[in-house]
Amino acid sequence: MDFEESSSTKLASREFLAVVLAGFGNELLPLTSDHGDEPCPKALLPIANRPMIDYPLTWLEQSGITEVLLICPTAHRSRISHHIHSDTSSSSYPSLHVDVQTYDETQNLTVGTCTVLKHFSHRIQQDFVLLPCDFIPPAGLTLTSLLNKYRIESHLDGAIVTACWYQAQRPEKGAVPEDWGSAPTAIPIVWDRQSGTLLHVDTLDDLDRNGEELELRMSLLSRYARTSLSSRYQDSHVYVCKKSVLDVLHRKAEFDSFREEFVPWLCKLHYQRTKQQKYSKTLQPSQANVSQVLALRHSTLYSGLTYGGHHPPDDSTDSPTHKPMPLSGPPSPIGHIDDGIPAVSLRVGLIVHEGGFAGRANNLPTLLELNRHFLSLTTYALPTDPENRSLINVKSQISNDSMVGTSTKVGERTTIKRSVIGKHCVIGRSVRIVGCILLDHCVVGDGAKLDGSILGKNTKVGAKAELVRCLTQAGYEVDAAGSFKHEKLEISDWTAGRDEDAGNEESDSGGDDETDEEE
Amino acid sequence: MTKAERRELQERQRAAKATGKTAAPPPPVNAKPGASRPSQPPTPASPAPKRGSQARGTAPAGATTGKGAKDAKSVAEDAVVRSRGLRIFSHFALQRTVAHAKGDVHPAIVHLGLMFAEFKVSGANARCIATLSVFKQVIQDYTTPTHNTLTRHLNTHLSVQISHLVSARPMAVTMGSAIRQLKLEISGSDIDLPEQDAKDALCHKIDNYIRDRIIIADQVIQETATKKIHDGDVILTYARSSVVENVLLEAWEEGTRFSVYVVDSRPMLEGKRLLSVLVAASIPCTYLLLPALGSVITEISTVFVGAHSIHSNGAVYSRAGTALVAMMAKQHSVPVVVCCETYKFSEGVQLDSFTKNELAPNGDLFSSFPLTRPRGSLTLQNQTNLEILNPLYDLTPPSSITAVVTEVGVIPPDSISSIPLALGRQV
Repeated sequence: MDFEESSSTKLASREFLAVVLAGFGNELLPLTSDHGDEPCPKALLPIANRPMIDYPLTWLEQSGITEVLLICPTAHRSRISHHIHSDTSSSSYPSLHVDVQTYDETQNLTVGTCTVLKHFSHRIQQDFVLLPCDFIPPAGLTLTSLLNKYRIESHLDGAIVTACWYQAQRPEKGAVPEDWGSAPTAIPIVWDRQSGTLLHVDTLDDLDRNGEELELRMSLLSRYARTSLSSRYQDSHVYVCKKSVLDVLHRKAEFDSFREEFVPWLCKLHYQRTKQQKYSKTLQPSQANVSQVLALRHSTLYSGLTYGGHHPPDDSTDSPTHKPMPLSGPPSPIGHIDDGIPAVSLRVGLIVHEGGFAGRANNLPTLLELNRHFLSLTTYALPTDPENRSLINVKSQISNDSMVGTSTKVGERTTIKRSVIGKHCVIGRSVRIVGCILLDHCVVGDGAKLDGSILGKNTKVGAKAELVRCLTQAGYEVDAAGSFKHEKLEISDWTAGRDEDAGNEESDSGGDDETDEEE
Repeated sequence: MTKAERRELQERQRAAKATGKTAAPPPPVNAKPGASRPSQPPTPASPAPKRGSQARGTAPAGATTGKGAKDAKSVAEDAVVRSRGLRIFSHFALQRTVAHAKGDVHPAIVHLGLMFAEFKVSGANARCIATLSVFKQVIQDYTTPTHNTLTRHLNTHLSVQISHLVSARPMAVTMGSAIRQLKLEISGSDIDLPEQDAKDALCHKIDNYIRDRIIIADQVIQETATKKIHDGDVILTYARSSVVENVLLEAWEEGTRFSVYVVDSRPMLEGKRLLSVLVAASIPCTYLLLPALGSVITEISTVFVGAHSIHSNGAVYSRAGTALVAMMAKQHSVPVVVCCETYKFSEGVQLDSFTKNELAPNGDLFSSFPLTRPRGSLTLQNQTNLEILNPLYDLTPPSSITAVVTEVGVIPPDSISSIPLALGRQV
């Protein structure tokens, strides 16, 4: 046998490494609380009956990246690894090579993303793309366009990171009850439209220091005379970074969160001269683009000035980062190209994506919105294969804008509207489900009414129970004829309630942590 | 019957015969007369565009089956006509860069393709140097697969990279000459050399090529051309050529005092960049757009232009607009000097700029419009009744050129084909 395994086949794929971070999902409690002993990872929570992590992974696949490093908590490793490497047709990634690594953290003591990255920086040997597991990309945006912008800018200009912000959807008032959490707050950013550079991101520290004003440096404004300021956009947490960014990260030990602290700090490198001088050596270890200097000198559309045009006069004559490259003088033979290296800008590029529906499903309102968005895109059709078809009773009414998973049994005279029902559920007779999300394996008794609720996996709802805008933890059992409005139902309350009267139960809305309990 | 109608009939009969032979699907036969009939009335008196649109060229639709090439081209043409595509120059409609590189393309080539497609690196010399530099990287990263030799396999490996570059932007003549020379060196390299030595030797040869045929050639051209510039001269140049720019700067540094008129045109507005460089060197300049040329041509003493490539019949293939400048200058007896290295020489004969050309992409690649105008009001995109056409190159006939300055001497345009002889058949 002749294996033609030439290393050159791996050339293109070695360009980028995708780093996908899967966290606990503390904002999605109780959906992400444990189901008995087993954890419910946030990454596997379904949106429109597909696990959340499918979306960024298919997005990656389409852009041609093949190496993926997936970092998740130790407790979630087996489930996530099983999902990714299993061969089911719905979730197979033929061209992705996913390496699942774990990081020790517990649900109570979450670690910042910077720490996690520093821990795994030895595994990252090339330019990388940092992605969250919960980003649902908008339909019009491809990762390739983000990568292309990074490729061009890092070679031409010395840009270090390319970020992506998308237009946030404001959910309507009253669509989500208040104690489910609110949509993420709007963060004002300042960016330059013409060159696509991110200039300033308001951090929480800035907000604490001065909540009413936005403080900008004059050096920013003197470099970029025309900038845009907006708070309409949300950070997608997709960053295409140079490898040397990790070296800078190691030098800054005080940063905990990549998105909240490190990226706003990186934006400042571009126009704050002291920071630039301190870190330019780390960020540009080798003159990798020296080979293109000669070509650029001959290029007809290149004028040798960096973005922002005006350079403040600099008295240090030997720092190559500040001299605008002149094109005068005869080009020297290629042996002597030390002079006139184009100024490296160390800027953070930005793509602002308008239109399309996108979201980060790390909080409940966005999760609901995303489900609703995907429902609006599909129309329901009764399943074609006879086995599934027989499970759905003829006399049930399933509206066009619902989604029902495979092998779900629906009883007669049941109405399902605007809902997502997972796989292997059992819905009894005369049930009314409006605007709900039922995860897999739920059991709903006859005559129950569910309105605007999210039921975790394996939830059992007794007969004639009524749930209005409730959230249940996986494995919860609602008693027959129970009635709950606007509550988060967790198993700890349920076992506590078991000891009391079996009639009405009071439950705290998410006050205590969940505890492992056996029946 | 007019000439055009007769040609139509001939085409129809030829197409019918061809479909009978190659058993192509019936639609082309039916559609072709239908398509050619609407194209007939608008161009009854201009056979040239018709000839151009039926000439060989890359079919925008992609795959052709070789033998049915004419039919497939007509299918592609029909598709373009039906989709209200361009009536002329449709045979080099822009191809978009593929999302994934086909085959095993080095990331540096992907970057380079992006730079080409976005016009970050443009100009014949710049593209050639960039390509060769990236090829050095590719060669260094290359490992010979087992059961194969470097001399045999490296060429195929490079061909994959080259096809990716060509999909980003059509190949320049300079790139073609350089690549031909490189492939010659590769196939001529010693089979017994250890791999790293062979690779180093190739990189060294690439460096030598850049140094000899571009850098040093540019210096020789500068020395020769600066002799043609005298004190008090008024020089005219068009758009931006790296060679002409160096000539002007060198002449100024030597102490000759002259002034420059920079003529520019949309959409690339390269003259603006040249202007910024010349003004930085304190050369007195005037900037004008191409339509204003007639008003100033009487004051000009010499015209210096660059070239993308130069052909055996002496025609110069250069940025669109150069032909106008050259012809107008000739009309007013102003000498036109083309500064061009010998590696830009192309063996073929080019008679017009329809058969081979390139269209600039629509959209705001060159940021040529002022920022103060609202973006929506500026015509940058095609609309239902408007197609935007920006050919990038045109052909200057040899009759309008006074002299070509190369590194082997100053040559009248009729003797261009003697360049290979002068170089000892190295081209």
